[in-house]
Amino acid sequence: MSTPTTVPPHAGLPVPRPAGARAVGRDVHRGPTFPRVLAAEWTKLTSLRSTYAVAAATVLVTGALAYVAANASSVDPGFDPLDSLGAGLVLSQVGPLVLGVLAGTGEFSTGTARTTFTAVPRRLPVLAAQAVVTGVFALLVAVLAAGAAVLGVLPAAGSRGIAVDLSDGGTPQVLAGSVAFLVGTALLGLALGALLRRPVPTTVAAVVLVLVLPVVLLLATDLAVDPLSASAAGEVPASQAVVNTVTTFLPAGAGSLLMAAPGSGGIEGAPDLEPWGGGLVLAAWVLVPLAGAALRLRTGDVG
Amino acid sequence: MIEVEALTKRYGSTTAVDGLAFTAPEGTVTGFLGPNGAGKSTTMRMVVGLERPTSGTATVDGRRYADLPAPLHAVGTMLDARSVHPGRTAFRHLLAQARTHGIPRSRVDEVIAMTGLESVAGRRAGTFSLGMGQRLGIAGALLGDPGTLILDEPVNGLDPDGVLWVRGLVRDLAAEGRTVFLSSHLMHELALCADRVVIIGQGRLLADATVPEIVAASEGGSLEDAYLQLTSGAVQYRGRSAHDAADRSAAGGAR
Repeated sequence: MSTPTTVPPHAGLPVPRPAGARAVGRDVHRGPTFPRVLAAEWTKLTSLRSTYAVAAATVLVTGALAYVAANASSVDPGFDPLDSLGAGLVLSQVGPLVLGVLAGTGEFSTGTARTTFTAVPRRLPVLAAQAVVTGVFALLVAVLAAGAAVLGVLPAAGSRGIAVDLSDGGTPQVLAGSVAFLVGTALLGLALGALLRRPVPTTVAAVVLVLVLPVVLLLATDLAVDPLSASAAGEVPASQAVVNTVTTFLPAGAGSLLMAAPGSGGIEGAPDLEPWGGGLVLAAWVLVPLAGAALRLRTGDVG
Repeated sequence: MIEVEALTKRYGSTTAVDGLAFTAPEGTVTGFLGPNGAGKSTTMRMVVGLERPTSGTATVDGRRYADLPAPLHAVGTMLDARSVHPGRTAFRHLLAQARTHGIPRSRVDEVIAMTGLESVAGRRAGTFSLGMGQRLGIAGALLGDPGTLILDEPVNGLDPDGVLWVRGLVRDLAAEGRTVFLSSHLMHELALCADRVVIIGQGRLLADATVPEIVAASEGGSLEDAYLQLTSGAVQYRGRSAHDAADRSAAGGAR
């Protein structure tokens, strides 16, 4: 088996040429390996201005909102600057979401798919590599955003003479949870983008799913529930329990559980998933569309 | 060598490519001709694995494209000048392509020099003219020093200098023993650079022969005359006779 010279030349192989003059054994390693596809996808992601624009906007928005929130509540008697760390998260998740959508749809909306998939005709390594590089890039952005949030609350803390201790109580989990939440959101955008392939419909779908739906559900319960009876009875009306359960299982609801203290009970009327349960739900929101995208990539036409 | 056998592609009820069979041999420039919508691009996309055939096979060097161990070293492909992200520079686009195969950065610089893109390699591809986009596409096809080249309308949008360069390039590549398979609507250009031509209409093979054979069999004595005679019954978008209308409904606006 180790003597390639005994293998008869295939009738269909081209005539000898400069590039073909290498050993058969090395020939196998000239093709697309997963580390190479990773390197190629990293080159692609980091060679677009939009990537850096979205990253910078995410970090700035997160820091600015934490600053504003901390300043606004710094006059409260029981002010804890660390409570304001997650204040910007509702908006700062838009950045990673858009980052993911652009990474997922960019191949198909620009025709780059023709180039990409002729180089890697097995296709699935490209999707896997995109998930890895998008996740890694989103992780860097999320860490910077968390840092910006910490910097954002420092002025308000200083004005009240409160020392900010990041190792205190639940703070490490809040920071780690928000980072994981943003990474998960970026991967959700990527998965939806790779599945739907068109940037505008994907962006609309992603924003509705992550941002609009929770707000709509919140407003709907407020309208449906009589505030007087709810406050008097002290227990959650059935309709609100249903809506809260749905909200908990949406990407943003599940993701925000990553930052909740264990045993906090979740939102009223909904099952308490705990941080790890919220993480699993968010992971499912990533993996299901990603599996759909893989199936579409595997069986369909590209470019 | 490219071998296509009984290749068929249907989109719903539309048949774009219909039982096509031909061979593009080594050491030869094979021209690929046909009216708009005849299925040329669909055929090329199936050969390089972007589209799955409904039935039949297309192989390069005896293998399905997806089974090639190092596709860029086996086949260089340029299907459409707009196969680049407009926000990426030409250099980064080629570098990303090269990295999938571990091709060194020096080779990227080499193909940039070969295609005359040195002065614009740092510019974003969205700012490129059609001709510069074509040169970038050809640069990408040459990256892996492949034994087979598949070029869809390579001279489209090129200046006369560029047309002359492509003609010389494909002749040289074939002389080195490589397979060159290219489509074009420019008959005079093909008569100058192709050894063989494969002519299709409505997804079916109309002719597969050497250029002198095809010209000799026609009445006018040129490749253009031969082409027009062969495709006269297969043109979908020419006039509006009842015959054409019937053809159009049969082919249903195939790509």
